[in-house]
Amino acid sequence: MTGNGEKKKAAPNDRSFTKGLSPLQLIEIDACTQCGECLKYCPVQDVTGNPLISPPEKIRVFREFIKATDGLKARLLGPQLIDRKLLEDFTKAVYECTTCGACGQHCTVGIFTQRLWPMLRKEMVRRGLGPIGPQVNLPKVIGETGNPYNRLAAERFAPWFPEHVKVVDRADIGYYAGCTGAYEATPMVRGDVLVLGAIGEPFTMLPAEDEVCCGFPLFITGQHDMLEDLVSRLVAAYQAKAVKTLLCSCPCCVNIMSRDWPLFYKKELPFKIRHITQFVAASMKSGKLAIKRELRERLIYHDPCYLSRGVGIMEEPRAVLRGIPGAELLEFDRNRLESRCCGAGGAARKIFSENAIEMGRHTIAEAVEKKADKLVLSCPACYAKVNEAMVGYDKQIEIVDIMELLAKMIEAVDSGTP
Amino acid sequence: MTMILIAIAYLAYAAFWVRLSLHAVVWLRAARQQAAGPAAAPGKPLHAFAMTLIDLLLFRRLFASNKPLWLGSWAFHTAFFIVILRHLRYFLEPVPDFIVQVQPFGVFAGYLMAFSLAYVIFLRAVTKTKYVSYQNYLILGLVFLISATGLLMRNYFPPDLVDVKSFVMGLVAMRPAPLPAGFFFSLHFFFVLLLVPFLPFHLFTAPFVAFEARKREFRLDKVMHDR
Repeated sequence: MTGNGEKKKAAPNDRSFTKGLSPLQLIEIDACTQCGECLKYCPVQDVTGNPLISPPEKIRVFREFIKATDGLKARLLGPQLIDRKLLEDFTKAVYECTTCGACGQHCTVGIFTQRLWPMLRKEMVRRGLGPIGPQVNLPKVIGETGNPYNRLAAERFAPWFPEHVKVVDRADIGYYAGCTGAYEATPMVRGDVLVLGAIGEPFTMLPAEDEVCCGFPLFITGQHDMLEDLVSRLVAAYQAKAVKTLLCSCPCCVNIMSRDWPLFYKKELPFKIRHITQFVAASMKSGKLAIKRELRERLIYHDPCYLSRGVGIMEEPRAVLRGIPGAELLEFDRNRLESRCCGAGGAARKIFSENAIEMGRHTIAEAVEKKADKLVLSCPACYAKVNEAMVGYDKQIEIVDIMELLAKMIEAVDSGTP
Repeated sequence: MTMILIAIAYLAYAAFWVRLSLHAVVWLRAARQQAAGPAAAPGKPLHAFAMTLIDLLLFRRLFASNKPLWLGSWAFHTAFFIVILRHLRYFLEPVPDFIVQVQPFGVFAGYLMAFSLAYVIFLRAVTKTKYVSYQNYLILGLVFLISATGLLMRNYFPPDLVDVKSFVMGLVAMRPAPLPAGFFFSLHFFFVLLLVPFLPFHLFTAPFVAFEARKREFRLDKVMHDR
């Protein structure tokens, strides 16, 4: 485990564990009944089986931390010393979580865990215990390159951007590709742009060097210092391009943009945030985009956690898939708000890669079991990790991003392919 | 014995309030920042409030997650509430009419409370649950003992109810009266005193969290939709 030496550490006289949490979150910590029902839905539990890193245990241990610094004994005799190993184990547990929020969705009292876990991570960062592994380099890397993958801005769009799609300088519609899509799931963002091109409404994009990280990797790892700056830069840049609606396909990006950008920007955003499937579903409904080619296949759609539980986008992707003539849409046993994490969330997919691979294989296995022809994803992190999970796995299925699939249907017609 | 139990009673009472106050201080001193961006107008707070009442009264979330556990848990909490109502006759003078009316139900609730609790503990023991909260078991065990001693008094070792009322009213008025005769009353009372400082905090906080959860559910559709 690597402590984050560069971050602001809690001052010696500021030992309280409650400073970074809202009153409601502290009440939520008190409200956990420790019933353990959430463990049935936790994807990390599915693959590790370790209740010591489960939601109620994390809450129980955090209560002990609060008690040690704010309890009666602490108030009478001063803050109690907390065992370093307990702190480190807790930090590891809170970072091993994929922050999918399934525990909160099924919580018997309704704790908003998809938000609580990142805030506990922020508290551990404040104390110099988090983040862990290479996450510690994120602020430096994003500061230098504008993305969390330490890649050049020149490589952001060039390798995948289709030449024939025109991007205008200023338009009502803006498109944000996002770092994971642009560097790690290029068929997905290429699909986005091809579909936008086929719809035909003018859209604009920022130059590669200006389309910096949306801030989600920093937010989710509890490193919030740079967020205000990143958000201000991006909002100002899109405002300068007269954007009224900003489209993006990455669930994590749209989540932070719609939920948290207004907080870091300190006022309402001057444009709407929309997921690309919302725009495409509306275009299909209005007739601006017609899929003529048939696809006689069984498609199974996986709801990304930050798209379904995060911002409530569940029906539009399905509307898009149902709009493909001949396609049959299947559902996972757990779908929409109840969907099971594919393992790629919470910035844990590279640090706890084995967990993520196994979770991804659960998704693949169910899709194969349901005899789907294609596993349709709608998240670049899911796309990258589930593809990785299929390498060397005995169950195989074609994995495709929703816009990648749609683009193929359009391209086939445009190029005359039957 | 009387003085010891009375001293423990006031200590337990004080411990409860100290504990509650310390938690309240933590809540109040927390950051004033908004940690979760709703990005949508609250909307329908009355609807959310009404749905929260249903959630709380019917334990809807537990029902959705685990129906056998819901059955025991809901029966236990409902019975516990009725038993508390029944016991209010010892704290109030004159006894309000609705407390008088609830007495027969209170007797039934006493049995239901014990059986539902035994069912929940049994269910937890036989079901392959991944997470075990020993503190929960401790509290459940304590409530079961309170319940069992209550039923023993009801059926086999009835104390003098006039003495009981006089003792309880004396405690409330800070003018302690003699402890009623009977071992089981002392035991029953002692277990209650043990429970008071350790009452689970979700009893007080879960309603707020459930209300927030309902509001969040109603807002979810507005985060990225024009509605």
